[in-house]
Amino acid sequence: MSGATDGSGPTTKATASDSTDSSILKDQQKPAAALEEDDEFEDFPVDDWAPEDSEVPPGSEGGTTHLWEESWDDDDTSEDFSKQLKDELAKVKGQK
Amino acid sequence: MEVLFRDFQTACQEGSGHLLAATISPIAPPSYLNRLDAIYKDSDVASISQDVARGLTKSAHAAIQYPNPQIDTWTEIYTAYWYAIGGIIAAEQPTSRPEWLRVYMAWKDLANTIIKHYSSGVLEAWTLPVLYMAGKHLRIFAIKADEAAAASGGSDTFNTGEIQEDIAGDFDKNQKLEDAARVINRMFTLCISDRAPLEESRKWGLYYTANLQFKTYFKLNSPSLCKNVIRALGAGRTDMPDLDAFPRSHIVTWKYYVGVLRFLEEDYAGAEESLTSAWHMCHHSATHNIELILTYLIPTCLLTRQLLPSPRLLSPYPRLAEIFTPLVDAIRSGSLSTFDAALADGEAEFVKRRIYLTLERGRDMCLRNLLRKVYLATGMDEEGKRRTRIRVAEFGAAIRLGERGVEGENLENDEVECMVANMICKNLIKGYISRAHGMVVLSKNGAFPGTGI
Repeated sequence: MSGATDGSGPTTKATASDSTDSSILKDQQKPAAALEEDDEFEDFPVDDWAPEDSEVPPGSEGGTTHLWEESWDDDDTSEDFSKQLKDELAKVKGQK
Repeated sequence: MEVLFRDFQTACQEGSGHLLAATISPIAPPSYLNRLDAIYKDSDVASISQDVARGLTKSAHAAIQYPNPQIDTWTEIYTAYWYAIGGIIAAEQPTSRPEWLRVYMAWKDLANTIIKHYSSGVLEAWTLPVLYMAGKHLRIFAIKADEAAAASGGSDTFNTGEIQEDIAGDFDKNQKLEDAARVINRMFTLCISDRAPLEESRKWGLYYTANLQFKTYFKLNSPSLCKNVIRALGAGRTDMPDLDAFPRSHIVTWKYYVGVLRFLEEDYAGAEESLTSAWHMCHHSATHNIELILTYLIPTCLLTRQLLPSPRLLSPYPRLAEIFTPLVDAIRSGSLSTFDAALADGEAEFVKRRIYLTLERGRDMCLRNLLRKVYLATGMDEEGKRRTRIRVAEFGAAIRLGERGVEGENLENDEVECMVANMICKNLIKGYISRAHGMVVLSKNGAFPGTGI
């Protein structure tokens, strides 16, 4: 696999055209054609690269923590839903 | 055809497998777009074999010995290549109906010729990229041949009624790709069975050929076949190099597929490990591949660590942001109806990516957040501590509101208890249900584990 040849020329489209893979697509009504072109892991244009060209270079894994967030949120007191919830809870309490 | 022999000599002199592989590329380089035509027009069926032999001999080093197995081997390879590019040139003519089947068959000949000469030992391990080039395009041409067959289906095949035709069509849908899978499997076997010392062993081709198998089996919608490959390369093998010693492109692709397989087997801890290292090691400019890795890593982390992707993680990948953001927002706010709607909206895409069932489990976290809000909203007792006894009816009112809206129908207490029991069972809530009092008694410490309260 040579880097220069990938991504050029008319035959490269072959990897991308995934139009027959319909058996995993349970929803037959929506062919989702636009999405199917891209679901294959592509060949890299180069065989190997320096560690620092990686998405998260070795040693900087700690820097990824800010890319993930906790699954709850306490800062929503102004939200409509929270207000509704309080009203509902008040009603339930009233029924007690 | 001179260009072919010149490139061959350069590659051999430099001992570069990649340059050598480029000589049998079915795609012309940008620097010489007429390469295939130039090679093809320079010979014909009657004389191709002699032309190649003569050309290779002429450009070879003067001290070369005859008869020479190298020259014989490459004469066979380039002759097969010449036939293949004849098909490719014809198939790429915009006017004609492309005969991808012909291209596939010719390329398969080329691949088999190459395999034969690895088996016989003439082709050395440094030429492995030649094998990769053959395998990679074999798969691509097989897919094209199958697509072409599907597109012309019905008109060529005999017609015995619609239903039968449907069955037959489905059955043969991937005929050539299945055929290619067998050839690719031979390539893998060629690598794994090599007993030469590691520095000159074809074992260095193991992960590339394994990855080709993965891609093929996924495309055939039979990912379970990948298990045999993983088993063959399983831990504890002492006769092959460590994974770390391989080129990064091989490692990342391998880890991606292993991660997705573990994901499909619901081994989420294993999936997290493989996908995380694939993500970290992936080339930073390979955004499409990173996007694919994250497609599985995000649902995985949702389950293993209860973590959601931040807008910063998603922003470089608009499609990921589009499919995940509504779910993420719904989970965080504890809004069950929004979650259900987001899941339904993305269903086609989620099912296609095989992440639907995993994402569906995120509903537990959404419900946890809703019940957590009830807990936070109920306030403090006289001693300034949070009230830990909450009436089932209070949770019920919250679930009704979250799931069905203000006008929604009330839930039976039994239903609510069932949901709460499930949450306790999954360790998302700590406490117990006192049925006699219609109360949920929450733990005084860490009633909602891992959420700071």
